[in-house]
Amino acid sequence: MSVRRKGPKATAIRIITYVLLVVVAVVVVFPFAVAVTTSFKRNTDIFTYPPSLIPKKDSTIPAADVGLDGDPVPVFTFPARDDRPGRWALVDADASLAEFRPLDDLERVIVLDVKAGEKTGATVTIDGEEEDVFLVDDGGTQVEAYRSRLTSGGLFVSVDDPSTSVLDLVNFATPAREFGPRFANFTEVLAEKDPETNGKGVGRSLTNTVLVTILVVLGQIITSILGGYAFARVQFKGRSTIFLVYLGSVMIPFVVLIIPLFQLMLQVNWRDNLVALIIPFAFTAYGTFLMRQFFLGIPAEIEEAALLDGASRSTILWKVMVPLARPAIATLATFGFLYAWNSFFWPLVIINSGNPDNAVLSLTLSTLGGRSSTDTNLVFAGTVLAMTPPILVFLFAQRYFVENSASSGLK
Amino acid sequence: MAAVTFNNISKRYKDGPKAVDDLNLEITDGEFMVLVGPSGCGKSTALRMIAGLEEISDGELRIGERVVNEVPPGDRDIAMVFQNYALYPHMTVRQNIGFALEVAKVRKDEINRRVEDAAEMLGLTEYLDRLPKALSGGQRQRVAMGRAIVRSPQVFLMDEPLSNLDAKLRVQMRSDIIQLQARLGTTMVYVTHDQVEAMTMGHRVAVMRKGVLQQVAPPQELYLRPANLFVAAFIGSPAMNLITADVTIEKATGGDQPDDVFVSFGGHRLRISPKALDRYPGLRERNGTKVIFGLRPEHFAMEEDLEVGDDQILTIRCDLAEAMGAEVHIHAVIDVPPPAVDGAPIAAEDDPEALVAGTKVIARVDGIHTIAMGQDVRLAVKTHLTHFFDPASGAPLR
Repeated sequence: MSVRRKGPKATAIRIITYVLLVVVAVVVVFPFAVAVTTSFKRNTDIFTYPPSLIPKKDSTIPAADVGLDGDPVPVFTFPARDDRPGRWALVDADASLAEFRPLDDLERVIVLDVKAGEKTGATVTIDGEEEDVFLVDDGGTQVEAYRSRLTSGGLFVSVDDPSTSVLDLVNFATPAREFGPRFANFTEVLAEKDPETNGKGVGRSLTNTVLVTILVVLGQIITSILGGYAFARVQFKGRSTIFLVYLGSVMIPFVVLIIPLFQLMLQVNWRDNLVALIIPFAFTAYGTFLMRQFFLGIPAEIEEAALLDGASRSTILWKVMVPLARPAIATLATFGFLYAWNSFFWPLVIINSGNPDNAVLSLTLSTLGGRSSTDTNLVFAGTVLAMTPPILVFLFAQRYFVENSASSGLK
Repeated sequence: MAAVTFNNISKRYKDGPKAVDDLNLEITDGEFMVLVGPSGCGKSTALRMIAGLEEISDGELRIGERVVNEVPPGDRDIAMVFQNYALYPHMTVRQNIGFALEVAKVRKDEINRRVEDAAEMLGLTEYLDRLPKALSGGQRQRVAMGRAIVRSPQVFLMDEPLSNLDAKLRVQMRSDIIQLQARLGTTMVYVTHDQVEAMTMGHRVAVMRKGVLQQVAPPQELYLRPANLFVAAFIGSPAMNLITADVTIEKATGGDQPDDVFVSFGGHRLRISPKALDRYPGLRERNGTKVIFGLRPEHFAMEEDLEVGDDQILTIRCDLAEAMGAEVHIHAVIDVPPPAVDGAPIAAEDDPEALVAGTKVIARVDGIHTIAMGQDVRLAVKTHLTHFFDPASGAPLR
């Protein structure tokens, strides 16, 4: 480690550097954070105003807390009523209520129990109807009012003091919200496609993608090791020419190959078949080149020593060379993984019958957005499922990347 | 254990000169044979041909009674130690040493026993479960040796095994290898460019140059009776001084008095002891011709240290005095063109930058003397020990 610069100027530079880095990091990470948090939200919460990063659910408390049995009880607040602070549990959503209107202010509504109030015996005529006059309690004072409506509403019990309760119309109360991720998003998006259960069928695609990716990566590793070793160490006629041609194929863009490859797949009847996603990609000129370069860097004496130890070519390859080439193999596996996992265009072309059983994740995700755009939370859940494995792979493999680049500089 | 026999072995690379040219060499059973020579002399190629790592272009190679030209390396029952050790970096010391046995499908407990025996012999027991990168250079060297001895092969091959070690460790390992070979009695072929190793280690030393074997002999013989100018110049440090000189033989006046032989070069004239004539009788026919006169640095002494006649004193100007403690090396230049082997001046072969206008001479005298640069020094010459070679062929005038 080098000695750090000191002094106010160096400190200022360091502060500016860190501020800039943090700003850039936030800008880069923010969309990612939105995607992850949205994948845990309820669908109704996604487009609320003000927007929130935190997935929330309606608060409830256990029924036992308010002396009841059964399901948890929803919690409400009355933000407009200063006389009802705190949280209130809705213990009965179907209580019988009566709306009273005071005779001196017909616009006001006093909500009370249906049995509340005492008939005075007098009557009053409202809008041509004759109504009885009641004496009702209005916040401690008795006022004369008529009963304008009989209805049903909520019986709320204070969470803080279960002995106090109020009656009110439920839509006068605001549901209380608390942190609550919705894990069902993931089970729903993974579940078999079914409008009943809101299943999106991503699970099948995920399985397909995992299968394709594993086979492509294994295939690439095996063919690259064999090819790279042959090009590095086995003497045969035309070796450098073949290698040059092979390496030259890296220069051909994939779009050029799509039509011939598609025709070839039709010939061998692999259209709409996962094999078409595996076999053509189990060979990689880049990987062969990578392994060849790595094998060339291993001193020939190590191989000669193994030869003298009586090892055969294949023993040398699998017991000596391959263990030494672990960093290169990790690099190759990571690239192969990312390629196979993210590939979209070729599957779109070749898995084309609309048969979801053979679709891969990238395909399903692309249709998920259009097909069920009402379920934005599910789209994001699918997206998070799709991007988690590459991130994990990169985190595990980056040690090898670093090792790979460091070992080239130092002995 | 087995002998190794080269019968007319040649190695030709595609459109290159022969790396090894018609090599005939018999390494006897249990012998410690050192192959030595400057870089590019073919010594490593010869070794790698024994190992089977190089194909043999021509000739027949035998290990014991078996012709092994076409036998793959793993079936030759030989073990090799490489210059850079060539340990398997991903295996522990135990796995490294046991790898050959594992490949040969020896039973696990047998492998363990033999690996532990080898480790014990080499003092590696406590390092058995370490990786090579956690070992020092000397320990890695020993692991490489362990990998060789654990198989009890017919022949050990060593390709400059000590050249990556520091000087002190090299001396230590040198004696360790000598003792090991003596104890095991296994035939050993040892390649080095370091003549100290060659002289101290080998039962016999084979000197090679440009693919051609120059001389095979026990070290002392090589030093005292070089087979040609190249061996004379190559063996010894500092190297033998080789000076082109004119020979004059004056017939003795008395009956049984020996003839007087003089060599003269660059304005100097030395009388050669008649004993030199006994060793180089061919010199008698060289009256009036040029020969190459060879004089080892230790054949000089300060005038006061050695009683010789006035005509056996060489007066030179000291260009550089290197005080080594026990001795002083006096460097001087004699004003004659340096001798050539195959047209190239000898000095230029080791060091192309060397001064070629005159012949460099190094004299080794006792360390008690203080010699200043630029000082004229009178050196007594032990003329009875001198060597004489034919300037054209490089052959000794025996």
